[in-house]
Amino acid sequence: MKGAGAIASRELGSYFRQPAGWIIIALYLFLTAMVFSFWVLNPGQPATLRSFFAVSGWLLLPVVPAVSMRLISDELKSGTLEGLLTSPVTGPAIVLGKFFGAALFLLGMLLPTLVFVALLFRVSEPAPDVGPLVSGYLCLTLLALLYLSIGTLATSLTSNATLAFMITLFAILGLMFMEGAYDKAPAWLRPVVGAMLIRPRIEDFAKGVIDTGHVVFFLSTTGWFLLLSVASVELRRWR
Amino acid sequence: MLVVDGVHKSFGSVRAVQGISFELKPGQVAGLLGPNGAGKTTTIRMITGFYLPDQGRVLIGGCDTVDQPKAAHSRLGYLPESTPLYAEMRVTDYLHFRGKLFGMDRRTRVAAIEHVISRCWLKDVRKRRVAKLSKGYKQRVGLAAALLHNPPVLVLDEPSNGLDPSQIRETRQLVRELSADRTMLMSSHILPEVERICDRVIIVAAGKVRADGSPAQLIRDSGDQGTYLAQAKGGRAGDDDRFIRIMTTVPYVQSARRTNPDRPGEVQDWTHWVLTSKKGAPDLREAIAHAAMQNGIMLRELRTDAQTLERVFLRLVEESEQAAPEPEPAAVIDDKVRATPTGSAA
Repeated sequence: MKGAGAIASRELGSYFRQPAGWIIIALYLFLTAMVFSFWVLNPGQPATLRSFFAVSGWLLLPVVPAVSMRLISDELKSGTLEGLLTSPVTGPAIVLGKFFGAALFLLGMLLPTLVFVALLFRVSEPAPDVGPLVSGYLCLTLLALLYLSIGTLATSLTSNATLAFMITLFAILGLMFMEGAYDKAPAWLRPVVGAMLIRPRIEDFAKGVIDTGHVVFFLSTTGWFLLLSVASVELRRWR
Repeated sequence: MLVVDGVHKSFGSVRAVQGISFELKPGQVAGLLGPNGAGKTTTIRMITGFYLPDQGRVLIGGCDTVDQPKAAHSRLGYLPESTPLYAEMRVTDYLHFRGKLFGMDRRTRVAAIEHVISRCWLKDVRKRRVAKLSKGYKQRVGLAAALLHNPPVLVLDEPSNGLDPSQIRETRQLVRELSADRTMLMSSHILPEVERICDRVIIVAAGKVRADGSPAQLIRDSGDQGTYLAQAKGGRAGDDDRFIRIMTTVPYVQSARRTNPDRPGEVQDWTHWVLTSKKGAPDLREAIAHAAMQNGIMLRELRTDAQTLERVFLRLVEESEQAAPEPEPAAVIDDKVRATPTGSAA
């Protein structure tokens, strides 16, 4: 996996060398701070970040495609992918490097929100329950990684970043609203569709339940999308 | 050092490369020439591992680009045609990134970066962002990146493309310096450049090798006549036959033809001549001058209108087009246009 670290580091740096990265972070923090101020800091209400996590989950919908849309599309458009594929770096290293660079950016975006946790502990009496806070952040992280892997696949398919954004957004929306398909699916297909549903898993996390099955689901689905992204990059050599 | 063994590549029904083979020995500098759509860039991309060949194989330093891609790539420095770089990065940051991709540790990397920055004349712009550089400087950054890991094989795709004349001169000088200690394959449209730099020329057209040899050998083997231009005085007025007779007795001179006609009423002055030599003739200037002197003919100009690589190239391309008059896909579809999303590549 030589070279993945260098690619991840370059990718992470590129978000901060351009205004887009700062704008995404600023917008996300502004919106979540509004949610925290108006919905969380309510006197007499239980001390919980549940509404912050709910809104953050929805904010990932536009944020992750915006972060992922240029990952490989830009390399295809500018021709820099040729420089990567002709260096002693493998396809998996390129995809993982890109993925982890963007994942670190997203985690860096979530990091300042820990201030909300600190504030909540300071002003709440009794102190908030730690379980839902940990499971909430874990859920946000796993969701972000899953969405990002979908975005990585989309961006490996086209040199048009806007198109990659749209593909990612609609794929995530499709995954979110799979419940509609569950109700209408034939009985024999329901177990499969049911296993793919995201919302029940998110609800468990929101209750403070960390089910290892859910964690494995998110991580393995992320892995599958990354595997497809690797195949998409490697196939370019064979086209 | 570089072996290209019967490589084929098709894009759908388009046969871009059809069995190209050649081998470069250590220290050899070869030019890959061909018209647009001839298969040059596809061949180069198969050598660099960006495309995998449908058939055939490429060995770099004995390592197969399919079976041992890492080993093969680490022996190769590559400058793609449009010199794609990360615009937002600074020059040294970009070179550090490239060094990391090639597994260079920090100490080796710093030393190598200093070396290539000095060699590619990048000292003045080392801290500048790539986006702010001129095209000539970007080309040098691309070359510096290709040289960073000191590869024994260097592949340059159109290194002078899009540069102004002074930048072309600078790049040519740099390429000539680099060619001193490594095996190099470069494609170019500028034939005099290839003639000056390369000790071997491979001409491809319609996805096949049409000629392979040193520039002098290709010119010699082309079978075309050498031509000499002369201005002479000393013959009697209107006595062109005497000049022709004298000159055609010179070994290897095939014909002499006057090019400026007599004008009625004018005194015969300098006459202009075109002399052609037979196939395989050596330089005849000395023999022609000697014959003129012995026969009391004064020469004020005698120069070769030598056969150039450009003429050989054009003739070979013309022949290959005549040999395949039906629409030959590989000859008409430019693979570089296919490869770029904007379709803007030359």
